[in-house]
Formats: sequence, C-alpha cells, structure tokens
Amino acid sequence: MTDRARRAHEIDLRAPVAVVATVKNARRLVGVDANAARLGLGVGLTLVDAQARQPSLVVCDAEPEAEARLLTRVADACARFTPLTALDGRDGLMLDVSGVAHLFGGEEGLVAEVEARLARQRLTVALGLADSPRAAWALARFSHRRVAPAGLAGKDFARLYHDMPAAALGLDVEICADMARAGLRRIGDLALRPRAPIAARFGADVIARLDALAGEERGAISPRFSAPELSVERRFASPIATGEAAFVALARLADDLAALLERHGKGARRLELMLFRVDGGARRLQVGAGRPLAEAKAMARLFAERLAGGAEEEIDTGFGVDLMRLSCLVAERIAPAQGEWERLEESAGARALADLVDRLSARLGTRRVTRLELVAAHLPEQAFAAAPAALGEARAAGRRNRHGEGRSGQSWIASPSARNDEACDAPTRPLRLFERPEPIETLAEVPDGPPLRFRWRRVLHEVAAIEGPERIAAPWWRRPGAPTRDYFRAEDALGRRFWLYREGLYGRETTQAKWFVHGVFG
Amino acid sequence: MSPGDRAEGVARLRCAVAAIEGRRAATPARAAGRLPLTGALDRALGGGLAADGLHEIAPASPADGSAAMGFALALAARFMAVRGRTAIVMAEDFALAELGALYGPGLAAFGLDLSRLVFVRAPDAPALFQAMEDALKSGAPAAVIGEAWRLKSYDLAASRRLLLAARAGGAPALLTAASAYGAAEAFSSAAETRFEIAAAPSAHLASAGGGRGLPGAPAFAVRLVKARIGAGSVGQGADPTRIFRLTWRSEELSFDEPTLSLPVAAAADDRPRATRA
Repeated sequence: MTDRARRAHEIDLRAPVAVVATVKNARRLVGVDANAARLGLGVGLTLVDAQARQPSLVVCDAEPEAEARLLTRVADACARFTPLTALDGRDGLMLDVSGVAHLFGGEEGLVAEVEARLARQRLTVALGLADSPRAAWALARFSHRRVAPAGLAGKDFARLYHDMPAAALGLDVEICADMARAGLRRIGDLALRPRAPIAARFGADVIARLDALAGEERGAISPRFSAPELSVERRFASPIATGEAAFVALARLADDLAALLERHGKGARRLELMLFRVDGGARRLQVGAGRPLAEAKAMARLFAERLAGGAEEEIDTGFGVDLMRLSCLVAERIAPAQGEWERLEESAGARALADLVDRLSARLGTRRVTRLELVAAHLPEQAFAAAPAALGEARAAGRRNRHGEGRSGQSWIASPSARNDEACDAPTRPLRLFERPEPIETLAEVPDGPPLRFRWRRVLHEVAAIEGPERIAAPWWRRPGAPTRDYFRAEDALGRRFWLYREGLYGRETTQAKWFVHGVFG
Repeated sequence: MSPGDRAEGVARLRCAVAAIEGRRAATPARAAGRLPLTGALDRALGGGLAADGLHEIAPASPADGSAAMGFALALAARFMAVRGRTAIVMAEDFALAELGALYGPGLAAFGLDLSRLVFVRAPDAPALFQAMEDALKSGAPAAVIGEAWRLKSYDLAASRRLLLAARAGGAPALLTAASAYGAAEAFSSAAETRFEIAAAPSAHLASAGGGRGLPGAPAFAVRLVKARIGAGSVGQGADPTRIFRLTWRSEELSFDEPTLSLPVAAAADDRPRATRA
C-alpha cells in the first residue's frame, strides 16, 4: 500500500509514510512503511494518535482498486517464475514453484531473485517459501526466515513455527482474541495441547489450519491462469528493445513450439505470448485458431495480425524485454489428411477460409468475425444469434450436412409467404433490423388501421402497398405485461420497403398507438 | 475523323490502358469468368458481371441504402450459388449503426444460406478495405461484400488494391458505398463496374379487401454508371441515362426483368401470373 502511495505521489524516500482508511468510524492507519514502523507506528492506530506522535508522517488515502491493480500487475510480472500465480487476499500473491526452483539456483536463489526483481520496481515485499501455501503465508508475514526446508517435522518444525503468534494461522481476529483470553497466544501453545478440546472450543478450522501449516494437508492454490499444455521460452542476456527484434524472437519461439507440437502430434488452437520487460511490466497476447495449427509461420502470422489490428499498439518493449514465452493453451490432435484428391481439393478451400477467419479474428477480435444462426424465438430481435466464426466452423458444417441442401432453418421463415401466394417470393423479414426501433409519426384512416403515410427520419413516405398485421406477442411467460406488436410490411410510392409495427393492442392495451420502424427491406 | 476511325482509336487506347494495367487484353479465360444477370444488363456489361473484378454499388438517395445492400447481397447470392462457396459480408461499424444491422432471418428469406456467410464488422474504413483485400487474396470466398460509410480513404490507390486483390483471388469485390448517395458519377476509382441502385415499386399483389395492394418481390432500379469492358469483348458499355428494372427472385436466386415496369392492373386470381421475361 505504501509502495503504491510512494509511486503515485513521489514521496521522499526517507519520510515515513502511512495509508489511512476509515475503519470502525475512525480514520485509522491500514498500512505503514518501514520508516514509520521504525518510529513505532503500527496498523490499527488512529490517524489522530499517529499524527500526534509523528507530525512528519506523510498520509495517503487507501485506494483499494489501485492497490488491486498493482497487485495484479505484480502477479503478471511474477508469471516469469512460474505459470501458476494466484492472488492471495488483497495483499498477497501465491506462486506455486514446485519443480521450478532449480532453474534459479535453488530455493534461496529463487527467493533472492524474486526480491531483487521486485525491489527494482521499488516494491518492498515479505517472502516465504515452504511446503504448503499456509506455511509459506505464515513464514512471509511472521518470520525472519524466508525458506523452510522441505519435509520439516518434530523439533525443526517447532523451532521455526512455535514462537509465531496464533494469528499466523490466518484465523479471524475474534477467534484469535478468544484464544488469547484462554492463554493460547502462540502456535506452540496450540500445537502441544490435546487437539479435541481445542477443536471443540474454537472450531475444527483451527486444527485444520495447524495441519496445513505442518504440511500434513497440502492445500492447492487457485491460479489466475491455468498452466499451458506446452510452453517454450527464451531469455535474453541483453534485453531486446525493438519491435522487429521481438518479431524475430517470436519466429524462433514459434519454431520451437512447432517442433514440440509435432512430437506430440498435436496442433495449437489457442496460443499465448507473454513478454516480460526489465522494468517489471508484463504483457499477455492471446490468439485463437479455427483449426489446430502446427506450422510455425502461421502462428507467428496470427500474432503479427493481432498486433497490426490497431486495437493495441505495436509491441511496447519499454526499457527492453528480457524474457519471452510462447505457450499453447489449448492443443488438439491433428487429424491425418484424407487421401482422395477430391477431398483434398475441398479441404484446401475450407482450410483457406479457416485461415482467413483466424487472421481476421486475430486482428479485429473474435466478436467482430461472426456467423449468424437462426434461433426459434418469437420476438424478431431475438430470432438470430451471432456466434464467433472462428469457433462455430465445425458446428455450421455439421448442420449443413444434416440438412443436405444447406438452407438451414429457412423453411419456417418462408412459411408465412407461402400462405399468400405460391408465386409471391417477397421476403417477410427485413434485410436490416434497427437495434432500437425508430419511432415514426403516422397518419391513418382509423385509429387502429394501417398508416396512409408516415414520417421517418424527417422524410414523408406515402404508403402505396401494405401487408399486415402479423401479430407478435411478447413472451408473457418471461415478462408479463409487455405490449403486443402488430407488424406491417409497407412499401412507399418509390418502392422502398419498411417493416413497421404498432405497439399495443388498440383499445385493450393502449389508446395511443405508437408506431415504429423496426427494419428495412432490400 | 470518321466514326470508324474514332472507334478504332478508342479500342487502341483501351488496349494501351490494359497493357499498363498488366493485363494482356480481355483474354478468353476472363471473358468466361462472368456471371450472367439478366439479358439487357448482360448486353451492357459485355456478357455479365466479371467474377474477378471490383464492382461498386451506390444508393441513389439516402433512403436507398438498404436497396443498395440488397442488390449487393443478391449478387453475392448468385455468386455463391454458382461457386458453392462461402461469401464474406463486411461492414463498417458506423454503416451498421446508421442503416441497421444485417438481420439473419431477413437474409435467409432473401435467399442467402446463412451457414455459408461470414460477417465481419470493421471499426473504420481503412480496416474494412484491409480486411476485404485479405479476404479476396485468400481465394477462399465466393464473393466479398464491403459496406463502407466514410469514403475519404477510398481513392484510386485503395480501389486499385482491391481490384488487384480480386484478380489475384479470382473473387469479386462488391463495394457498397453507403454514404455516396447520388454521387455515383462523382468519384473516380479503378472499379470495373459501378451501379447506382434505387428501390423500385414492386409488382403489387391484389389484396383480398380490394384496398391497397400487397408489396411484391424486391425490385431495383439499376443505373449502370460505369462499365469498363475489355476491348475484345462485345458490350454496349455504360449508359447512365438508361435505367434497368430488376426484380429479385429469392427462391430461384435470379433476377427478372419485368415486362412492364409498373403493374397496370392486378392479375386475376383465377389465372396464372403474367409470363416472366
């Protein structure tokens, strides 16, 4: 908290800093930096007291959102050590470093590296590394030792943990106060007593946490991002600072990943590129592919499209990127190609289309590249759904096969016109639909009759031909009381065709019929 | 200078232009890649709409924006039917906000196969042109429709890029200039064809009550403003004064030329409808 305040307000390094918030109807300190702690100020003190003791105290307001943002950024930056990072409450991070430490010269080396990296960003951290998340949590907050050796038991365990206050179990403040009243102030007091009475008096949770601390129960962390299936990375002895160099490195990474994928006989459906900057920033880029990709060039091109998309600027290398990681988040087995020539030809066309859709999706975003599907709904605005084309490919193809001819869902749409006239193929639904129906002024012979003329977007249209009403009631089982709509297809004297509707049944639901243009025909 | 000399001169110039554009002349292969529309329009276009060219479609007035898109979609439906491939419909965000989003059931009723359409929304015109170019070059789609609103960045160079991409991929680019109503003659581009589209009164059907008629199949008033046809091919070329009336048959996926531009009297109920052209 104080680190964020320092970063935000440019405070003198020697000045004591405290962050305050309103707790229990008083302005209290919720965070103090090392300088303030040395002067005897602590969390929980009221602001008035603190200022009386230390007039030179620099006070900043707590900003939970900004603090959460900073914590997330730090978590991203820590992804360089392990893919499994998790936020721990509002003020901590959990890194699952199983099988990682040897890359940094042992556990001590890893802890030193983490601290050095974060110190470079002017962040002060308390670190702990132990067998279980709970033990690491306690170690970081209540001990000067930072690394607990693996498989700690008996005397060693007692030496390390028994002197810690009971709060190191991470229990509620009230339970801690209760235990203190009973004389149970340190972990050792709890650990050496019979378990049953403690569980009976303070809850089974206390015992469970004690076990977790001892590593008897291995808690799992819930990481922000799941570990990728395959991952390749490159470290740069001297950080790369230009976008072109990053692209060259990306191409190499793609080669590595392609080789890895080939060995597994898989292709990547979802890829992630992470760039770690020397100044602690991290950047995540994700692209999806409509078919399993195994070619390095195609992967690199998707990222190039993504970066050229304009939604984001080019790679921001900042002061230099010293680690790049390319991960395959979702991999799929590649189906072996069919032998027949004809099929080959057809699949080449389909592949070209899938590639195109992938590239456009990567550049513009998957929500901008869609396929439309018909939905059996009464309300016109709910009668279709847009699905991302990059994912819907297989589904659409499946349906085409089932219907043979491929005119999916068209039969029920065309049915109202079939009723009128065999030869009339005037579409009954408009080509374009307004997201919000636009109100119009109408003139009709009788209040509930079809309009003779109407004014839309400041232009007067004389109705030359009109068909209707097609009555569409709102889904009363979902939203009772919504007005019924009477739809008309109207054509003006110049041949423009509109889809009008009147809201509310005249005389029953309303006396002032409101008219809208909902769509236009081609 | 006699009229014959002039025609020869024009033909020579056309060859020169074609040579500059890196095209040998109207080769037989290209002449074959034409999509027939209707008799009269085909004669003007020299055998149909080029299947690998850039065609611009502009509405005649602000209210004809959806008619222009309808015409473009009808052309795409014909290309899809002939080639059996997916078409890509792209539009600028602003055009969709202004003219209404494309409506799935309406497209299906218009004769388009939704499972063979991919929709792309582009944030602005340059992104739209870039996406169109990529789609055309890939050679995958049967046709690419692009609806642009802000035409400031659409100049000779941009249209030339689209034309070359269409040639490279062998797919037609149908560019709907939604905001260029009434300005079809005004802008210069490398397009092969430019249409100006207005909605036309449809052949009304008699209503049961004897009042106003019922709207019929979609009809378009098409003005061919520009038609660049190869020197070797036979075509009348563009004649901006002439208006073609076309009716879209969504069941047959074809255009009709009504024998009468406006129905004089309603067809009798007990008789078959007037024969089509």
